[in-house]
Amino acid sequence: MAKPTVILVGADKGGVGKTTVARTLLDYFTAHQVAIRAFDTEAPRGSLKRFHPDITEVVDVTQVGDQMKIFDTLANSAADVTVIDVRAGLLSSTLRSLNEIGFLDTAKKGQITFAVFHILGPSIASLDEIAETAEIIGDANYYLVKNFINNTTFFEWDPATYSSYFNRIKGAKDVTVAKLNEMACEQVEVAGVPFVSFVANKGANGEPANFSFVLRGYVRHWLGNVWSEYDQVKLMDLVGSKADDGAMQAAG
Amino acid sequence: MSLRSFVTICASPRQHVGKTLLARMLIDFHLRSERTVAGFDLNERDAALNQFHPNHTTCSEIGEIQGQMALFDALVADNGVHKVVDLGHEAFERFFLVAQQIGLGEETRKRKVAAVILYVVSPDAASVEAYAALARLFPQLTLVPVHNEMLGSAQHRDKFQPHGDGSQLLHLPLLAPGLRRVIEQRPFSFVETSGPAAPDVPLDIHIELQRWMRKLFLEFRELELRVLMADLKSSIQPRHN
Repeated sequence: MAKPTVILVGADKGGVGKTTVARTLLDYFTAHQVAIRAFDTEAPRGSLKRFHPDITEVVDVTQVGDQMKIFDTLANSAADVTVIDVRAGLLSSTLRSLNEIGFLDTAKKGQITFAVFHILGPSIASLDEIAETAEIIGDANYYLVKNFINNTTFFEWDPATYSSYFNRIKGAKDVTVAKLNEMACEQVEVAGVPFVSFVANKGANGEPANFSFVLRGYVRHWLGNVWSEYDQVKLMDLVGSKADDGAMQAAG
Repeated sequence: MSLRSFVTICASPRQHVGKTLLARMLIDFHLRSERTVAGFDLNERDAALNQFHPNHTTCSEIGEIQGQMALFDALVADNGVHKVVDLGHEAFERFFLVAQQIGLGEETRKRKVAAVILYVVSPDAASVEAYAALARLFPQLTLVPVHNEMLGSAQHRDKFQPHGDGSQLLHLPLLAPGLRRVIEQRPFSFVETSGPAAPDVPLDIHIELQRWMRKLFLEFRELELRVLMADLKSSIQPRHN
């Protein structure tokens, strides 16, 4: 059995497309036949849950009870990968909580695979977040995601400044999420289904839908590009590593 | 036989090579066969196809997504309607870029729609390159080189190899002198020259037009049969795991 993998998707700013990235990750792992589950920290309503209701639970990650629900179940869960969509502004504090409960130490020991998808905003402040986050997570798999889906232009960034921040983190990987046509993006939102279901022209319960072929085509093309970014950073390697002797014990 | 309708795209990156004439003839071919046909005019400047066949043609534009949806969603609709696209040279690149991104080839195949590109060949390098690119990017489509005999006798066969199910060089026959003036009247339907609504065409010209039309319709008919036969063959071939 593979080591449990936990992927945290977050940013310290809202509106940068965290949930969108989380959705692409769930679709990606599903397509690779990896058992997944997700936690949506947009309590009480949730936003990820609307698209992936069967595998998503809404939690309040600041509450101990909900933290137990996520982390104490890692070893016994049927899911190989747990994706946590962290509410805007809570990335740093969530990481600090994980540090306090010893989760990051467990990851450091290699008993759990831990990865952070840090969705960057267009401002310089976003670069400062990198330094802050990097300090806490240490050697975890760190992915810096430039998300262009909302037509973001990273106008405030000087490439040299970005590189200097980027290089501070050992092994950090750069992921770019391309822009998706606004109407296509909007239609998937309205449909409230996973991207792959939209592409396959299926509704929330797998029933045949009647989405535009053009919009489905754009989503398919875009999703293919996102997934090839994930392939490029060898995302499947996160779940490829087998558990060592102490992994289950530590995670349990 | 699984294919239910045809989408035919008359294309070339060059202007004045006979794309619109080809599209007009195709619409007439479907009408003569008593089929339902929808034409899509992608000529940005003069909407020529629409002027010849106003009752069967829609003017399309694909600069914005709404226009793309109106065109491509209609093209893949599995409604038994045969579709003919007159792809003006200005829209050539954009059309195939969008078609590739949204997966036109895969979708038509999935919906049992036969998709054929009638590519009017010309000897220039841009045309040769564009043809090669289409063959590479759209392996699911039938790419048919069309030799318009009005453009000269050279056929450039080595540069425009037929590609895909049922493809073979198609000839657009030479039009006898004097006929062009007649067929350039707008609107003009070749099919209607033989019916009660036929325009005032002298008998000798009418006979010549009919002869020319039959020749071309035979080319279309044979192309259709080759595509359908190729599809039939592939559907009855034993599948090996």
